Amino acid sequence: MVLVLAIGDLHIPHRAPDLPPKFKSMLVPGKIQHIICTGNLCVKEVHDYFKSLCPDLHVTRGEFDEDSRYPENKTLTIGQFKLGICHGHQVIPWGDLDSLAMLQRQLDVDILVTGHTHQFKAYKHEGGVVINPGSATGAYSSFTYDVNPSFVLMDIDGLRVVVYVYELIDGEVKVDKIDFKKTATTRSAQ
Amino acid sequence: MDNPLSQNPDSTWGRFFRNAELEKMVDQDLSRLYPEHGSYFQTPGCQGMLRRILLLWCLGHPECGYRQGMHELLAPLLYVLHVDVERLSEVRKLYEDHFIDKFDGLSFEENDVTYNFDFKKFLDSMEDEIGSHSNSKKVKSLDELDPEIQTIVLLSDAYGAEGELGIVLSEKFMEHDAYCMFDALMSGAHGAVAMADFFSPSPAAESHSSLPPIIEASAALYHLLSIVDSSLHSHLVELGVEPQYFALRWLRVLFGREFSLQDLLVIWDEIFTADNSQLHRDSEDDESSSFKILNSHRGALISAVAVSMILYLRSSLLATENATSCLQRLLNFPENINLKKIIVKAKSLQILALDSNVSSLSSTFGGAYNCSKSAVVRGHSLSSDSVSPKTPLSLVPDSYWEEKWRVLHKEEELRQNSVGKQTPSGKKRWSEKVKLSLSRTESDPSPARAENCKKGHRSSIRRSLLEDLSRQLGLEEDAEKGGCLGASNSEDDHCIEVLVEGDNCTNKESICAAEERCESGSGTVVSDENSSIFSEPASPGSGTNDHENDTEKSSVASNLFIDENDDHQQSNLEDSPLPVSLPPEDVSLNSLHENESSGKMVSAMKERRHLSGRFQWFWKFGRNNVGEETSDKGGTNEAAKSPNHDCKRQVIESVFQQDRCQVGSLDNFSKNILVGKGQVTAMTALKELRKISNLLSEIV
Repeated sequence: MVLVLAIGDLHIPHRAPDLPPKFKSMLVPGKIQHIICTGNLCVKEVHDYFKSLCPDLHVTRGEFDEDSRYPENKTLTIGQFKLGICHGHQVIPWGDLDSLAMLQRQLDVDILVTGHTHQFKAYKHEGGVVINPGSATGAYSSFTYDVNPSFVLMDIDGLRVVVYVYELIDGEVKVDKIDFKKTATTRSAQ
Repeated sequence: MDNPLSQNPDSTWGRFFRNAELEKMVDQDLSRLYPEHGSYFQTPGCQGMLRRILLLWCLGHPECGYRQGMHELLAPLLYVLHVDVERLSEVRKLYEDHFIDKFDGLSFEENDVTYNFDFKKFLDSMEDEIGSHSNSKKVKSLDELDPEIQTIVLLSDAYGAEGELGIVLSEKFMEHDAYCMFDALMSGAHGAVAMADFFSPSPAAESHSSLPPIIEASAALYHLLSIVDSSLHSHLVELGVEPQYFALRWLRVLFGREFSLQDLLVIWDEIFTADNSQLHRDSEDDESSSFKILNSHRGALISAVAVSMILYLRSSLLATENATSCLQRLLNFPENINLKKIIVKAKSLQILALDSNVSSLSSTFGGAYNCSKSAVVRGHSLSSDSVSPKTPLSLVPDSYWEEKWRVLHKEEELRQNSVGKQTPSGKKRWSEKVKLSLSRTESDPSPARAENCKKGHRSSIRRSLLEDLSRQLGLEEDAEKGGCLGASNSEDDHCIEVLVEGDNCTNKESICAAEERCESGSGTVVSDENSSIFSEPASPGSGTNDHENDTEKSSVASNLFIDENDDHQQSNLEDSPLPVSLPPEDVSLNSLHENESSGKMVSAMKERRHLSGRFQWFWKFGRNNVGEETSDKGGTNEAAKSPNHDCKRQVIESVFQQDRCQVGSLDNFSKNILVGKGQVTAMTALKELRKISNLLSEIV
């Protein structure tokens, strides 16, 4: 029952002032065990805020992040799953499935969390799961202004991961749930 | 959609988070449980059991939740169960041959893999060795075994007629048993005292006060303490030491933190033996401030143990100057204590606690009542080998009020005398009335009144007579009598009224005795020289015997009555000093004996101006006199002792009931006094009184 929050692309303060209040009211300390942040926070205040939600915070560097010490990629193991984090602006074409699969194989992870497109995505691909939490603030992206604020909460329980996606559509929080089960580990490609 | 971040409290996730909170709290407490016995309590097996039991109970009782302290109630229970199981298994091992778990020749195997942790190691480390490792030789037959072992063996025969100890105690079901025991303890098992109440912050549903139960229970403690030892109680209250500061911990964990584990088990044995069923009270108690904790024997014993502990620390508590040091001493109960003493004391206080719950109703009487009650209580506790010495401080008020009354009374007397009203000298009245009564055959209030109105030279004589008599009477063994002498300040009327009303001999007896006493009392009151007598009543009125009490109380009451009457014949009762001393006597009367006398007294009290009764009494007295030998001053006891329904006889009898052997002589004297028979003049009366005093002095 490990709860992992996947969030990113806030672009505070450049493109958005703050998280939507409905999101903020849901995110209370004490419930979440890990936070995975894809990048583009951009300022330290956001980092501190996440730290207050959960002490275990993992951030990768986005192109607009003011803290240059964040790594480009990160991998961690939670329960039975290996997670990989990358902002995604390094993977070209941005948001391309196959390229992301390549990155996944490269990092040798079961779940790859990337961002940059500001669009929520969660799909199974070649034995792995790719999750894009979208933009938590609904900040405009490089290619579109029409962005719904969203983030993802993963419930890792043994060999099963339940992905809850929270989207703010027309002022209402909509929650969706996706189940992924880990099969026998696939051999990483040579 | 049920999601982890959902704000819905009833969602599965919401409950999950709440349970996680609960578990965190439980774990926190368990990790700090009994570190000094950590080799048992800190083992993962034991901790696991405790955690499961606590979590399950808390989840089953969501209104209580988990509170710190519940684990300390559970731990000793589990420990005891484990010890018993171990003992049984040891005995089984040593005397394997005798433990035949066979039913019709077939044996059953038990596979016990659950509870593997090494209890033996813990046993070895305990200060008092529980298991006996000494006897290892084989014994052939059951009869050769030590009786204790024999019992264990016999009781383990699950299928036998003897018992099922082996089934009652089972290692497999230790956790289950512990859960049941814990549940019974917390919910009170349909009794009055439920430990769970002590953990709840809100007032109980049917409590009369709006306080949380633990605060109420702490108040009950102080209430009991104030009854038992009001000086210590007032000291603590002065310092501002609220009972719940220390009682919270004491009560919530049932003294778990005050005693070592072994001592605690002894105390818990006592507490749990006490019956926890709700004691039913009359409906009139519903409106009162009765304490819920004192509603059962067990609750009363718990309060009694607490008060006994406070009393154990009495000397050090009285020496403290501020609340902090006081609390320090209370919260750090000494290590080496005489546990037996505390328990014995507690048992004696338990009865008191049960009684006090009823009498907490009459708290309107306030301090004076407490004083008299404490006088009674003192006697009670003295008789039960009290641990700590008690000071007679609480009795000071009694005599204080007596003195006050005396002073006031004297003033009034003088005033009345000058006015020409009847003095409070009972003797004078007595003879007068006797005279009067003898001249009449019917009771008639008015003549008495008229008679009473007669004043004169006699008053002073009477007063001195009374002084003498009262002194003599006061010097009798019975200090209580003196007490009632001192407390005299009531109307004579009542006494008589009672007499009139009462067809019951004993009633009249006591009343008559009271009358006598009263008379002496009034004499005492009048004179200053009788301060010595007053000092006598200052000694605690111990509950010597009921009879004494009866007479004392009735005499007190009648004293009250008579004197009142003396003071204000037809005027209003002077309330100023009287009610103060009145209530204690009155209340003590009421509380001490439920017999007719008290009832009578009360009823008499209500009617203050009826001289008819009084007159009748004197009439009867006169009649009694007539029937007696008048000349016998030496006094034969027969007359006094033979019960007869004649009022006068009873009067005399009752007066001297305590000193049965001496009754006769006094009896006769009084008779002689009353012998006036219409011919009694002041001088005769005086002479008679003198004789009585002489005789009394001889007796004494």
